[in-house]
Amino acid sequence: MTIALDRRGFLAAGGAFTLSFVVAPQAGAQQAGATSPWTAYLTIGTDGRIALMSPTTEMGQGTHTAHAAIIADEIGVPLNWVKVDTPMPSDPFRRGGSMGSGGSAGVRAWWDPLRKVGASARQSLINAAAAQAGAPAAEVSIQDGQVRRGGKVLMPLGEAARLAATAPPAEGTPRDPATYRYVGKQTPRVDIPAKVRGEPVFSQDFTRPGMVYACAVLSPVWTGLARQINEAPALAVKGVQRVVTFPGGAAVIAGTQWAAMKGAAALEVSWASTAYDGLSSAAISAAMLAGLDKDGEALQARADGDAAAALSGAARIVEADYEVPYIAHTPMEPWNVTIETTADGGLEIWGPFQTQDRNRNTAARVAGLDPSKVKLHTLMLGGGFGRRLGDDGLPAAVLTALAVKKPVKFFWRREDEIGQGYYRPAQVARLRAGLDAAGKVVALHVRTAGPSMRQSFSPAGLPKGEVDGSSVQTLTDTLYRPGAYRVDWVRVDQVVPMAPWRAVGATQNGYFMESFLDDVAKAAGKDPVALRRELLAHDPRALKVIDRAAQEGDWGKPLPAGRARGFAFVYSYGSLCAQVVEASLENGEVKVHRVTCAIDCARVVTPDGARNQMEGGIVQGLSSALFEGIEVGNGACENRNFDSYRIMRINEAPAVIETHFIENDQVIGGIGEPGLPPATPALVNALFALTGKPIRKLPIMAQLANA
Amino acid sequence: MTRLTVNGKPVTVASEPDTPLLWVLRDELDLKGAKYGCGIAQCGACTVLVGGQPVRSCSLAVGDIAGSAVTTIEGLPRDDAVQKAWIALQVPQCGFCQPGQIMSAKGLLAETAKPDDAAIDAAMAGNLCRCGTYLRIRAAIKLASGQAA
Repeated sequence: MTIALDRRGFLAAGGAFTLSFVVAPQAGAQQAGATSPWTAYLTIGTDGRIALMSPTTEMGQGTHTAHAAIIADEIGVPLNWVKVDTPMPSDPFRRGGSMGSGGSAGVRAWWDPLRKVGASARQSLINAAAAQAGAPAAEVSIQDGQVRRGGKVLMPLGEAARLAATAPPAEGTPRDPATYRYVGKQTPRVDIPAKVRGEPVFSQDFTRPGMVYACAVLSPVWTGLARQINEAPALAVKGVQRVVTFPGGAAVIAGTQWAAMKGAAALEVSWASTAYDGLSSAAISAAMLAGLDKDGEALQARADGDAAAALSGAARIVEADYEVPYIAHTPMEPWNVTIETTADGGLEIWGPFQTQDRNRNTAARVAGLDPSKVKLHTLMLGGGFGRRLGDDGLPAAVLTALAVKKPVKFFWRREDEIGQGYYRPAQVARLRAGLDAAGKVVALHVRTAGPSMRQSFSPAGLPKGEVDGSSVQTLTDTLYRPGAYRVDWVRVDQVVPMAPWRAVGATQNGYFMESFLDDVAKAAGKDPVALRRELLAHDPRALKVIDRAAQEGDWGKPLPAGRARGFAFVYSYGSLCAQVVEASLENGEVKVHRVTCAIDCARVVTPDGARNQMEGGIVQGLSSALFEGIEVGNGACENRNFDSYRIMRINEAPAVIETHFIENDQVIGGIGEPGLPPATPALVNALFALTGKPIRKLPIMAQLANA
Repeated sequence: MTRLTVNGKPVTVASEPDTPLLWVLRDELDLKGAKYGCGIAQCGACTVLVGGQPVRSCSLAVGDIAGSAVTTIEGLPRDDAVQKAWIALQVPQCGFCQPGQIMSAKGLLAETAKPDDAAIDAAMAGNLCRCGTYLRIRAAIKLASGQAA
């Protein structure tokens, strides 16, 4: 049987997105017309199975499951009838003009649109089925993949889809979430069984017929160019076909990945000197700390009242400086991409993309093509954490593919994944609080200084005189009311490339603010939780989160000797998150026993997936606090692999992480990032409580080693 | 030419003897469940079993294990208890490291039927997970070995 394809598109309410149905032919049938499946959210087959194009990249955060659950609940089908993929970039999947996954937006940005898509699909299917059966649409429903009238099955869903493809589309009203079967329930992740069997095709695993491998050899010094390349030792490696050069390095081309790596190790490159050859971590640190004193260069980011006057009139001043280093993302999959030239002179690209339009546009620019000539496919990501938001590796890969004229997998080794950077910025801060005679906070001035991530990461850079929002993130929009309040920032740019790192500015600024509050609490003779409650007295929602974490985390209750608790609260990405960390010091090593997390994200769509995000964020926050920071020497990142860039291992992970969700009817908050920022200061504060010594520079282990 | 038994099947591989087992599996045998993560035996994403022992296949020359039995994630039975526990407790996030984690867990459970937390931590410390699924890994190993998590 051959079924003509007939795609019906219409604008749903608000005009923000297009819903399309495509009736796909049954397996084995001749395809009778061209379709553009990536322009549609849903393809409903005549077997009732649904292909959902999710606007997000699945990198472990679970949004594909959340989106499948929304569609399954709205239409009324079993969850396993919905298969999810990421489409090529096109308008229905763009937000603010481009397609990408970041800012913990995967559920909160798409909750309303996808509910509307699903509801409209359901209504269209019902209308078509009702017309066929001569029944009033109001009496027809879809349950468990069947179209029903009263207690009777009218037709299978696939039959309704076939009818709907040639019927006028309808607009539907989303169901009451209280009636959902998968959303808000213990719904298993759709991608996990295959991941456990090692089946998913990650970018690293993807192949094309006739594909060759290209191992990148890149300048260790940022912005460095090759001065001289001796190809002979690389070409002598069995399996190596050729060497391709490009600005900033070369690629060794071979028939296997191993031969390409072996050839890359043999390639002899001497690098031209750069203006940054002498750059070191010490110099970067000194420049940032000097920036803290530059009143004239401080750009105001927030000012409530006259903080300077309030500080000068305060009975007592508490002041401290803090510093964090650049940290690396280290997704477990080193970056790679597969590119081939197409018959029409364009490019087809498969890779691990968090920003589809940015990558497609960059490939097109480098190749001198119109973006419409570049087909870009998103594969399963072996971790993202922000490192796949950029496009920095792509130009060399495109140039290599154009030179090789064969399908090519261009890949970085782990040494480049860590050493080529795009790091979380290094940053320093000076915090000054004014207390009145009764110990109440009446003024707070927070100054941060450091490089602008936006200058490094955004193609448009950051104009002089503007504040980089990420440098003051969570400071300008803090929920605390510390009286007169000033936030400013001194820009101290460096060559070191930077990108958003999970939770972005909330990581360093959350640490600065929350560690400092424990300093203030100690100076004022107050309990850290009591101090935060004072600063949030106006905000019942925040107090509820604080109180829940404190209660569940046994705040104030007795502990075994040698253990202490620390507390932190950070509001980021629309979610309020408080954590209690219980830690001890044993033989110079920090041991984290237990972390209790309370988060108010208003609505939890996939509770177990969200819990996993809290656990992962907490582990990553503890990892960065304890171990992470690159060492810059001679203009390069000196850490090149996991033997010199330490991240948390299982034996260092907490014994217990408990997460408590708080739901309400507020706007949905994010989940992917907000669990991370409090973990760092909560641990720092636990160690402060334990030792009486504040930790004002990260990572912790380096401070303990120097103590 | 090196003879091996891979997932129960005898194979003769043409890769040069100094080729790391990982690349024999991925490049020559098209078994891509074991991953390249670091190349220096620091992350464990490449872990497979050789003679029942978990090894970092990125740093083990195939010529050194001639005649050995190699088991990769693709060679586990469909109803494998470790994989079932991994699904039951929803362990993976991105999933890239998980084949290596699971093969390390297989090696641990072959040696120690009911490992405690300390034994799990010791056996699994060579397998990094940047997504931070460590607590679920601990619990899943206990579940797979019939212990309360």
